[in-house]
Amino acid sequence: MFATTQNETVFNLLKELGLHVDQLKGNLKLLSDAESRYLKDLKINVSNALNSEDLSRKEAYLIGIAVAANEDNAILQNAFESLAQENEASLQEIAEAVACTSLLNANNIFYRFRHFTKKEFYQTTPAGIKMSIMANPVLGKEFFELLSLVISALNGCELCVTSHEEALVREGTPPQRILAAVRLGAVLKSLSVLL
Amino acid sequence: MKNVVLSIGSPFPEFKKMAVVSTEKGKEFYEITLDELKSSGKWVVLFWWPKDFTFVCPTEIAAFNKHFSDFEDRDALLIGASTDSEYVHLAWRKDHEDLKDLRFPMLADTSKSLAEELGILEANEKVAYRATYIIDPQGIVRWVSLYDLSVGRNVKEVLRVLDALQTDELCPCNWQKGEATLQA
Repeated sequence: MFATTQNETVFNLLKELGLHVDQLKGNLKLLSDAESRYLKDLKINVSNALNSEDLSRKEAYLIGIAVAANEDNAILQNAFESLAQENEASLQEIAEAVACTSLLNANNIFYRFRHFTKKEFYQTTPAGIKMSIMANPVLGKEFFELLSLVISALNGCELCVTSHEEALVREGTPPQRILAAVRLGAVLKSLSVLL
Repeated sequence: MKNVVLSIGSPFPEFKKMAVVSTEKGKEFYEITLDELKSSGKWVVLFWWPKDFTFVCPTEIAAFNKHFSDFEDRDALLIGASTDSEYVHLAWRKDHEDLKDLRFPMLADTSKSLAEELGILEANEKVAYRATYIIDPQGIVRWVSLYDLSVGRNVKEVLRVLDALQTDELCPCNWQKGEATLQA
C-alpha cells in the first residue's frame, strides 16, 4: 500500500529544469538505476533553492546560467537560459551573467594569488585586469555583486568572497538573500556533478 | 464542548480505520493502522476536512494531491481524512473530476473516535476542523495546525514545516557547539 514509485523523483527533477527525459544519462542515470536515496535530497535541495522567496525566478535562473557557465555544463546552461527567457530575462542580461562568470574566473585566480602570498609587491602593483562591465551592469549593481559572490564562492577565493559580501551589505542586501544566492550556487554545483 | 487538541510531543493515538485508496473495482478499500504507518519508518502528514461533497474541500484536496510526489520525496505518507464513511469517500472520488486521480488514501473516521481523541471536532455538527498533523517515524506528533471550517490551507507551508523538521544537519563542517540550527 505505501510502496514508493520509482523514478518519479528524477523525472520531476528534470521537469523542474525544463529538461527532457533523454537527459537521464551518465551519473544521473547511474543514481536513478540504483534507486539512490540521494536523488530525493537532491530534488528537494534544487527545488527549494530555485524557489527561494529571497530571489525572483528570473534571478534564480540567471544564477543558474552563471553556475552552469562556470562549471562548463552546456546542458544545464541551455536549460537555465530557456527558463530565464520564460521569466523575462533579456538576451543582454543572460549574456551579462555569462560575462560576469568569465570575468570572475580571472579575478578569482588573481586575487586568490594575492591573498595567498600576502607580499607587498603583489598587493600594491595594479591588477592590470580590465573589468569595465562592473561599472554599469545591465543587471544592476546589486545583482551583479550577488552573481560575483556566488561565482567567487564556487571558485574558492577568500578575498573575493569577503569583498563581494561586504559590498552587498553596503548595498543594503538582506543577509537572507545573500545566503539564498550562495545556497543556490552550492546546490546547482552539486547538480552539475550529475548532469 | 471543550476541545483539547492533541499537540506537539504527544504520541499519536492508536487507530484502525478504513480508507479509500482507489476507484478501481475490488481495490477500493484498505484498512490503515498506526502500527503499519510506524513500521513503514516514514513520516506521516494527515490532513482533515469537514465534509465530503462540499465546495471548498476539493480545491484543497487537489492541491495536496498535486504535491503528492513532494511528500514522497520527503519520505512522508500523505493521508486525507474526514468523518465521512469510506462509501461516501468513494462516491465523492467517483463523482468529482478533481478527485478522480487522487494518489493518497482517504481515511474514514466514521465513528468520529479519532477526531474526538485528537480534539478537532466542531461542537455543533461534529465534523472535523481543518487540522493538519505531521507525525514523525516514531509516531510522535511534531506539528499540528488547526484552521476553522472555512479557511483553506497552504500546502507549501506544510512542506516547509516538514523540511524544517527533517533538517538534521549531519555534515561535520556544520558542528558548532552550543549554536542552534536556524533554518530559513
